[in-house]
Amino acid sequence: MLQKREAEKQFEKHIKEHELLIYKICRIYAYTNADRQDLFQEIVIQLWNAFPKFKGDSKLSTWLYRVAINTAITGLRKRKDFIESYDHAALPTNISDEHRVHLEERLLEMYKAIEQLNQIEKAIVMFYLEDKSYEEMEEILGISQGNLRVKMNRIKEKLRNLTKNIDYGIG
Amino acid sequence: MELDDLKQTWKQSETNKNINTDIMNMIQHKTYGPIAALKKEFRKQIIVMCLLPMLLIFTNLDDIFKPLTSILFWAYVLLCAGIVVFAYFNYRIANRMSVMDESIKPNLEKQVNTLETRIQWKIIGLRIALIFLIMLTEIVPYIQHYSMLDKWHSLSPFIRFSSYAALLLFQYFVGRKVIYRKFGSHLAYLKDLIREMD
Repeated sequence: MLQKREAEKQFEKHIKEHELLIYKICRIYAYTNADRQDLFQEIVIQLWNAFPKFKGDSKLSTWLYRVAINTAITGLRKRKDFIESYDHAALPTNISDEHRVHLEERLLEMYKAIEQLNQIEKAIVMFYLEDKSYEEMEEILGISQGNLRVKMNRIKEKLRNLTKNIDYGIG
Repeated sequence: MELDDLKQTWKQSETNKNINTDIMNMIQHKTYGPIAALKKEFRKQIIVMCLLPMLLIFTNLDDIFKPLTSILFWAYVLLCAGIVVFAYFNYRIANRMSVMDESIKPNLEKQVNTLETRIQWKIIGLRIALIFLIMLTEIVPYIQHYSMLDKWHSLSPFIRFSSYAALLLFQYFVGRKVIYRKFGSHLAYLKDLIREMD
């Protein structure tokens, strides 16, 4: 019982330290607050289930990414492949109105384009935005670094084209 | 717009979360993914299959010897036991599938292999069950008399064996489709993910 409580405390500490990382995964794979909340909870449960087996062979963040992405792409029963609108409340606050509008537009543009990528491409984009090395991406995804570089170039090209063609209906 | 231009925006967008992160509360909940749904289905199957023979005895309490001396009843018990063993085996497979801490690609490949093996075993299991029932229908009337089976045996062997063949053919084509309809979409989705990674 005492051991379980100790494990729970340790787990809570780790998750609190990395909750932003989980949140970012939720934001890439789910688009409304309700979906993000569901995914966040599902990821935390899966992390808790896997926690006893975590021996520290890899970095905690690598382990966490693995569980979270595996859960996001295979662990959800109700998957929404295309979401029509974003929750504006989830966009950044505490910035000037003009800058905020500009940032909102850029974010909308980015999310709209990323939304149209496949599940694996979404993960690669996220790692890229997070400045992860190809070595770490390989460790998490199980895709060779050469293949990842090719994919990254293709994704950049794809996003370039997508952002050219998207009509946001803003304004 | 270039992806590199978005890095700063991505980092700035960290400021708002709007998500309840009561970790201790969350881990008290049950997972609701497809594997959890499979496990729930197998648990239900085990419970129902254990209860069914008992229910049959319960409904025949006034003449308890009737089911207990019936070959059909024991065949039914055997069939239920077979399904229980099969469901338990499947439950263990689903347990193995619920491991999420491996690299994404090997994990997906493992899930596809496991699911394909499971589907194959289900098809084989259903075929064995059907052959068992056909054999039972043919053999039992020589040991015990049941009016329904006696009527069936009054038909010519050609009609009986043609019906069995038609049933086996139906199971071969339709059974496979039904099983793939149930698990096939998840399997196809996993295969697509692997293809996206190649």
